[in-house]
Amino acid sequence: MHYVIIGNGVAGVTAAEAIRQIDARGQITMISDETHPPYCRPMISNLLEGAVDVSRLPIRGPDFYDRLSITPALGSRVTSMDINADTVTTQNGRTFPYDRLLIAAGADPRPVDAQGMDLDGIFFMRNIAQVQDMIAALADTRHALVLGGGLVGFKAAYSLLKRNIAVTMLIRSGYPLSMQVDETAGEMIQQVLCDHGLTVRTGISATAFEGNGRVQSAHLSDGSQIPCEMAIIGKGVFPAHGFVPADRIDTDAGILVDDHMATSAPGIYAAGDVAEHIDIARQKRWVNAIWPEAAAQGRVAGFNMAGQALAYRGSLSRNVMRMFDTDVMTAGRVSPRDTDETCRFFSAHDPRRGTYRRLVFEDQILAGFVMINQIEQGGVLTSLIQSRTPVKISAQHLLDPGFNVSRLIGR
Amino acid sequence: MKEVIVHPERCVGCMQCMLACAAAHSKTGTLISAISESPRPGPRIHVGAGLYNEGFPNRCRHCNPAPCQMACLPGAIYRQTTTNTVLINPDVCINCASCAMACPYGVIRYHADPLAPAGKTIAVKCDNCIARQHKGLIPACVEVCKTGALTFEEMDAAMKKKTDQVARSICAEAVPADNAPGFSLLNTIKRAQKEINLSR
Repeated sequence: MHYVIIGNGVAGVTAAEAIRQIDARGQITMISDETHPPYCRPMISNLLEGAVDVSRLPIRGPDFYDRLSITPALGSRVTSMDINADTVTTQNGRTFPYDRLLIAAGADPRPVDAQGMDLDGIFFMRNIAQVQDMIAALADTRHALVLGGGLVGFKAAYSLLKRNIAVTMLIRSGYPLSMQVDETAGEMIQQVLCDHGLTVRTGISATAFEGNGRVQSAHLSDGSQIPCEMAIIGKGVFPAHGFVPADRIDTDAGILVDDHMATSAPGIYAAGDVAEHIDIARQKRWVNAIWPEAAAQGRVAGFNMAGQALAYRGSLSRNVMRMFDTDVMTAGRVSPRDTDETCRFFSAHDPRRGTYRRLVFEDQILAGFVMINQIEQGGVLTSLIQSRTPVKISAQHLLDPGFNVSRLIGR
Repeated sequence: MKEVIVHPERCVGCMQCMLACAAAHSKTGTLISAISESPRPGPRIHVGAGLYNEGFPNRCRHCNPAPCQMACLPGAIYRQTTTNTVLINPDVCINCASCAMACPYGVIRYHADPLAPAGKTIAVKCDNCIARQHKGLIPACVEVCKTGALTFEEMDAAMKKKTDQVARSICAEAVPADNAPGFSLLNTIKRAQKEINLSR
């Protein structure tokens, strides 16, 4: 049996480990355009911040490929596949035959439509190499511009503020993290960063970058101009399945997979940021491009590829961030764009303690929450969403700062 | 292998386990000196109040597979198979709270700890007192528990005991057995007090 895994991110890694638990002898080839040993992608923002050095990022030991008898094929990404011949081909022309294929190719940053994008000093923040380039450019950077008020934008802005760089964030929508949280939470989060020197401008975008080789300023959609020696694009990601023949493998935003992470083509599986399964809170197809789901999906895909049937329960959007002394945790449906009049909302705001909680219910099922500070019990709520357990007690109990898991247990 | 077993129906909420736990995870090892340590050691077992103010000792279940371990970004969380214990390496932990989002029981706390690098805030949770176990001692929370809400038993034997209890309770001739009579009375009183207060 020859397994080919496209991608050496966490989905590819957990898949390879799952395969090896079942099948000690099958041949495994891992293909990636990244040459670093498998590392923790979310931690690249800690690298930018200077909180960790690059040696802390690998998620497995340096002997990972040897230990699991994996043949790595690094440095060139897969650009085409031939489903009739059961092969995939990389940009540098190498072709790999497979019996079972896992597409764990991840996602690519969404580009922005602005002039001067080829200037130095304009970065996406997706991998170690990009962050290392940013760090090299920090010495000549006094003003940085962050495009996008999503998670990547916030982590980039936070990291640069910690490095004492003046940061301006441009957000197209009305408040930051509008995909993840409600307006109250978004404004509290914005206030924290503004208190530490961030400038936020909402309802605005960059139209052009100017400079002599390196970016020096940006033109904005309101006609103004702003100096910047660095710009970071954080406008989200899209699944990297451009090489997948859409007439042979069902795709939507991502590659559609069933409960076993199998695609519509026999022997071909998908996992991680490239895969589209069911979102538990939304109860519909959704791409949740987050690290813990990639790890879980890779594991399920690997077991199924090696012949051990294992079902995946669906994904849940969720995130946790610590910024200065403020902690934010959010999961499921909280943003106004994900909720409607059928939802019931409960919230508690304690300005003195700096805490805020909002719960979103669909009947008795918890569908989403956001917590600002005192987040230690957040996992209990996350697991309530994931298990879709009807909550029989008053929602006020879940908002109580003294809340603990025993309140959910009937005696 | 013996493991800590929680019997929540016997918990009176005295919180002595929390003190004993904090002292056991201090630099000096005794309560009287631990309170003057900096950073002050924190408990890794958390007695909370249930809906009717009944006590509930909440501690790490050392799940397998452990959701916190799978969610840990820097790979600081690992399982020591010899003691069936999920542990956090304080040197590797980056205090990102990904484990807080993953733990379905909410048992992980974040603070500076006497057993962590100085000044570093890390994720802290129950370690089954493996340092004490190496010295032949039982976990501190069990040692101090006066009511039998925390016991240190062979898991198979404890399961058998519980299975027998359940079996007896579903037998046709069974008289409903109260496995912790005094505690049931106490919790009934707490519940009544709470309901009376609510109805006022």
